[in-house]
Amino acid sequence: MLYRDALNLALDYAMEHDPRVVVLGEDVGFYGGNYRVTDGLYVKYGPKRVIDTPIAENSIVGTAIGMALMGLRPVAEIMTVNFAMLAMDQFVNQMAKLRYMSGGKLFLPLVVRMPQGVAKQLASQHSQSLEHFFASVPGLYVFCASDSISAYHGLLHAIRMDDPVVFLEHTLLYGMDFPFEYVKNFDPFKARILKEGKDITVVSYLKMVHDTLKACEWLEERDGISCEVIDLTSLRPIDFETIYESVRKTHRLVVVYEAPKTLGLGAEVSARISEELFYYLDAPPLRIAGEEVPIPYNRKLELRAIPTPEKIYERILSWSKSHGL
Amino acid sequence: MNGYLAGAKAMDYEVLMPQFSDTMERGKIVRWLKKEGDYVEKGEVIAEIEAEKAVMELQSFKRGTIKRILVSEGQEVEVGKPIAIMELGERIEKPKVEEKPKLEEKPKVEEKKPPPPPKETEKRIELPPGFASPYARLLAKEKGIDLKELQEEGRLPSPTHAKDIEEFEKERYFTPKALELLREYELSLEDLLKEFPNKKIDEDLLLAYVEQKGIPRRVPVSSVQKSLISNLSKSFVVPHYHIYEVFDLSLVPWDKEITLTHWLIKVVGDAMQFFERLRAVYREDHYLIYPNSNVGLAMAVGDELYNPVIKEVNRKSLREIAQEVRELRKRAEEGRLSLEDIRGATLTISNLGMFGIRAFDAVIPYGQVCIIAVGMQEGDGKTHMTFTFDHRVINGFHGALFVKHLKERVLDKNYIKMLKKGA
Repeated sequence: MLYRDALNLALDYAMEHDPRVVVLGEDVGFYGGNYRVTDGLYVKYGPKRVIDTPIAENSIVGTAIGMALMGLRPVAEIMTVNFAMLAMDQFVNQMAKLRYMSGGKLFLPLVVRMPQGVAKQLASQHSQSLEHFFASVPGLYVFCASDSISAYHGLLHAIRMDDPVVFLEHTLLYGMDFPFEYVKNFDPFKARILKEGKDITVVSYLKMVHDTLKACEWLEERDGISCEVIDLTSLRPIDFETIYESVRKTHRLVVVYEAPKTLGLGAEVSARISEELFYYLDAPPLRIAGEEVPIPYNRKLELRAIPTPEKIYERILSWSKSHGL
Repeated sequence: MNGYLAGAKAMDYEVLMPQFSDTMERGKIVRWLKKEGDYVEKGEVIAEIEAEKAVMELQSFKRGTIKRILVSEGQEVEVGKPIAIMELGERIEKPKVEEKPKLEEKPKVEEKKPPPPPKETEKRIELPPGFASPYARLLAKEKGIDLKELQEEGRLPSPTHAKDIEEFEKERYFTPKALELLREYELSLEDLLKEFPNKKIDEDLLLAYVEQKGIPRRVPVSSVQKSLISNLSKSFVVPHYHIYEVFDLSLVPWDKEITLTHWLIKVVGDAMQFFERLRAVYREDHYLIYPNSNVGLAMAVGDELYNPVIKEVNRKSLREIAQEVRELRKRAEEGRLSLEDIRGATLTISNLGMFGIRAFDAVIPYGQVCIIAVGMQEGDGKTHMTFTFDHRVINGFHGALFVKHLKERVLDKNYIKMLKKGA
């Protein structure tokens, strides 16, 4: 099932079973969504529940917060994470704080969905990965989905929660086809071990998961290095227990992510591992991440700026060599 | 893409699958609005393409004649792949009727190959004695290893990693032969070190240990055996039946040079010429009947079973067959059998007579229609043979006729004489 269809299915299911669920955002209604995630919902549920908004991100999130406070369960779409910068006040000062500042009296059953990451030549203002902005704010939950299974179940879980969730998607994943199945008791707070291994723990999320899996396949086939690949479905909170357990077994950690290396999510994961499992480490943790540049428009430069399967493979291989594996 | 497709001239222009949106990776041709030979103006719509659930019109960027359509309606291709070839320029009065090239099957998705391993620029980090990874220190402490001392002696690298300690432990306590056995019996290093603390573990000690504990030895299944196993399981579900018959082979003058097996290959191969069903391969809704008799021979080499094929038996003399069987055996022993050597038989002969086996039956090799299990030739020339037939191809009537024909053939003096002469 296509990733976008899985998201669509989750929205459709939620709207069908709960009349309080509404969808709002730019072009989500009549046009069916910029990435066609909300395709068909407008026809099925009408303009009262699938709401086309003006191009004003701050007010989209603000409206959604108001709806949530008044008892609806809105799912807002921001066209891309880059435009969410216009709504940061709502995200950080309102969405994240209201539950806490009301002493738990207010509920915010609210989801804001948005894609991020490098697609193909969308240039620097449309290609950013900003998950660490949201994941650094207490009071928010940040989910992300790397395939159709986590997209469907993760989004449905987020809609059912009484707390505000930022739901991150990846622009390039929308058109990708993944095997799909219904999973009982899917828990987005629990990281998924996509491939078991014994030599290296590799943590990743969103699209990088697939590049990582490809690289790890090569490492296993060509170099006999067996990697355990962990896919984070929640970036706040991060399921450290699963990572600890894996690192206790492998004694080595690699984090792969698309955002620039500095102050990214990989910094948090490797710092935690160093704090908690220092004596279990057989090598310094390795971060494979984007370069410290705005994403270039030129396709070749664009690919140079982010990890690719080839780069991940080479980095892990040379790192293991220099650190005695 | 490198260059043009075969047959395209320099003047030709490739119409590529366009990228309608930044996330579009593949597109499907819903409909061609122009056909081969049609003249197209710039901006004219030539096809409808579906991508990401939307159907979009593909306008021509150039003026010219559509020479070839490479992707048919309903097919999907990646962005950037050519979908048609246009001959640029003004309208051509009579479009040349060119031979229509075969539409390619679904374009293959190029499997990304791993990049070459990085050049050995990144060497292992080297530090003066005294360094180790945190985990290596933990391990050394557990095992009572003095890291610094060993590093100074050059027996451990600095910084030391877990793997170095593991290797060191192995060399310290195990002889190389014992290490090999360790792998064969899948024993755990830790268990043995616990069992025999501070002792050099050699082959004898390990073998005694294994015997005492009754640990099985692990023998990997060879790739030949693996394919045999999978084929056997597949053939076993083929509906089949047996015919048991005793043959009088007293007239067959076999010797060391040309053995009974060689004779049987020839006689059976000749007989197959009269029964096309024995030269058949079964497909879902048809049979493929081969003109020549290709006979397989079950051949044991070491622990493996090979099933090489003697092709066109009907055209070969006994001596040629004997020569070919020897050649195939030699190749099997050297592990040089090619795919050609093992492919194409419709019938196989398996002879266990030389081991004193009186009668047995065999499983038809996958894809074939018959196997003949040959037993021991008794004093008076009587030999048990069991025929196993694929019932989907050969019914009892055909089977019986074939066996009867064979029985008569081995008693045909003139035929035997002719073969011997022709040998």
